[in-house]
Amino acid sequence: MVGVPFINPLSLEGREMVRQLGSLEDLTHDNPELIGIVTRSKSQDISDDQDIPRNHLELALKRLEWYVKKRNNPNFNYRKYAFLFQGDIEKFDTISFYLLSQAIGVKFGPNSRESRLMAESQGSLIQNRLEELNTRNREEIVLKALQELLSQGTLKWTFFEDLLSSRRIQLSDLVLDQGEVIMDQDDFRERLGPRLHHRDPDKMYQLLIGEELRELILIQMVMQQTENYMAEVHEKSRLMVEPNPLLLQLADGVTEILTQPTPSYTGTGKVARQSYRGPLNREAFPPCVKTALEGIKSGGRNDAIVLFITPFVSYARLCPDIFKQNVTVRVSDKDPQLQVVHQEVLPLIYEAAERCVPPLFEDQPQEKININAKIGFGMHSTLKLENEGETKWYTPMSCEKIKLHLPYLCRPDDDCKKIGNPLIYYNRKNWILSREQAESGDKKEDEGYSGEEVMENQDNDWIDV
Amino acid sequence: MEFQRATPEERRLYYREEWDVKQIPRFIRDSLYQREFGFDHHGRGPNDRYRTFRNEDHLRKFMRYRTPFAAYTSVAFYQKPNRREGWIKSELVFDVDAKDLPIRSCACDSVCELCLDQAKNIVSDLKDTLTSDLGLKEIYMIYSGRGYHLRVQDEEVLGTDSEVRSQIVKYLVGAEVPRSEYGQEGITYNLEHFAIPFGYHQVFTQRIKQSILHLTMETALDDVNKKLLKDVIKNRHLLLKDQWGPFRQAIGPIRYKRLTKGLAFTNLGLVDAKVSIDLKRILRLPSSLHSMVSMKCTEVKNLNTFDPFQDAVPQFVYERKD
Repeated sequence: MVGVPFINPLSLEGREMVRQLGSLEDLTHDNPELIGIVTRSKSQDISDDQDIPRNHLELALKRLEWYVKKRNNPNFNYRKYAFLFQGDIEKFDTISFYLLSQAIGVKFGPNSRESRLMAESQGSLIQNRLEELNTRNREEIVLKALQELLSQGTLKWTFFEDLLSSRRIQLSDLVLDQGEVIMDQDDFRERLGPRLHHRDPDKMYQLLIGEELRELILIQMVMQQTENYMAEVHEKSRLMVEPNPLLLQLADGVTEILTQPTPSYTGTGKVARQSYRGPLNREAFPPCVKTALEGIKSGGRNDAIVLFITPFVSYARLCPDIFKQNVTVRVSDKDPQLQVVHQEVLPLIYEAAERCVPPLFEDQPQEKININAKIGFGMHSTLKLENEGETKWYTPMSCEKIKLHLPYLCRPDDDCKKIGNPLIYYNRKNWILSREQAESGDKKEDEGYSGEEVMENQDNDWIDV
Repeated sequence: MEFQRATPEERRLYYREEWDVKQIPRFIRDSLYQREFGFDHHGRGPNDRYRTFRNEDHLRKFMRYRTPFAAYTSVAFYQKPNRREGWIKSELVFDVDAKDLPIRSCACDSVCELCLDQAKNIVSDLKDTLTSDLGLKEIYMIYSGRGYHLRVQDEEVLGTDSEVRSQIVKYLVGAEVPRSEYGQEGITYNLEHFAIPFGYHQVFTQRIKQSILHLTMETALDDVNKKLLKDVIKNRHLLLKDQWGPFRQAIGPIRYKRLTKGLAFTNLGLVDAKVSIDLKRILRLPSSLHSMVSMKCTEVKNLNTFDPFQDAVPQFVYERKD
């Protein structure tokens, strides 16, 4: 039976482990106990010394590396990370978790791609660790961990406000009655059982709530708490004179892992093609973008231009594969002199604003500042590199958000059914168009083509997320 | 009854002879000093914003002498409402506009008794779900002049952000087809939404039932062709007795899936989601005149007995010569 910190390092027991920790410097020294656990782990691949974490710092990085590799490559070697799923690594793993969260909190702060990835990796670790357990142990540890998290008697849905706000869970995932979330089997039987006809309440409980919902809530709560913890660390670090060099060293290690080129793979295990990069291709724009670029003729001009078109156009031109990136990206990383922004991105946004009725900047010139803010240059009237980072470069709205905020823009075509974000539509459409162009070009020129290559393309499933 | 624009003289009559500041619901009067007010003086939109009133008497004088075309108040409470700064909390609001209902059995251009009645039923259903599922209290209903506003004052939700509110909207209107496949010990069970008489499944069932009962051959639903629409209309009598199984069977399981998906997408239009998720929205002031249609925006105490054509018509309308 594994301990609660193995599933939730932020539990009371997990926090106690950290409190009992000695000098931080010791964490960089080789630890024979840790090495022993790793090398003795069931199914562990020990053929390469590089794969064996020798101290807490290396273990912390291995946690993240496991997630990044697993996420990007379905063929990656699980056996190199088998130690992460051994219960006896709990103490080392818990301390590594804190080290990693603190390093990310200090260096990258909340709402960064790094912190998001850290929380995701923790969620994925819990999921995989639970899957390694037998049914009884799995149920027991989930109940024990949840008991601590849901200590109150009745559970109002507003208790999950954080999880709902971060969309980690959907309100419709929960079984609600009179404002309370039904989690307990007796409660379910008593309150909802009488409404069921010809169905066994216990069976229905198992299906609708049971293990699955309990695990979902546990995992999402730990992920949320991980994010909150990093935000807390970030706040505290701002008051400190100098962060511990060990954490900065670890943060550099994080950057190294996350910036390693990681090819994406298709469902069939082949390397996926790269996203289209280059001048904006209007033909590949989704219907919502095309409509917004024609100008908005009623209410909602501001949201359409500032919140929707600005992030879409800037990312489509400068960083169309943002959803595959692991690290925080700035406009200047892609366009150091801001030439493309001035010559291609802003003119297109301004044109759309001009086409609104009445033209957006005519009665609301301050929206130019908001546009600059949305691409990360703070609330200033001109784009200056020295102001970059004062605000966040907003990623394009998802289709779900568009339906809520700008419903009049959402007129889906057939290609929309396969995507959840207009930027993904753009990437996909560019790929389809370039493929069509290549095929028709081949036919026109009557050149021989490699049949194999065409087959390869046909197999090349779209895997962007 | 015809909806006619109120003249400046009629507005004067209304605010000087019929309107009383005490008609503004107490939940607004009690927080007057924390709210932003906005006014439309010429029927071109609320461009007189950032107004504040220290007390009821100041507001009373303003309304009597300016007799605005339309009056609005913020759903938000601020420390400095005159600058819209220091946000404290916001009412949770749902706006059901009869003219914007996604599925209407009437074929009117604007609003009529039929679609106003349909809007009233939707408001009643939404209120039920807010109470029975989300356990919310202090819910006020306002007739807005062309539809209804539900204004939730329950402290449980006043501090929630836009994301949480968007989740509430989606839950309330049934904007997503509920999951139907459940697994246990390696076996997959199929449980359609209508087999589960509580929670979100029940909400979804109720919403799509109402939508199906109001469908016409002119209704456009995503991925639902005329043939399917015709079959749905032909078999919808089964739903009057909640015979969902036979109804699904008559439609066919694959086509039923397409139908529910199309209806879920359409359900999002039952309320104006922008109003619900905007924390700084201004909303028509209850008791004020909706001058575009010459109706009173008024608090509804009892939805069952409320009749907008009896209870929201200002006196001057009865005195019109033609």
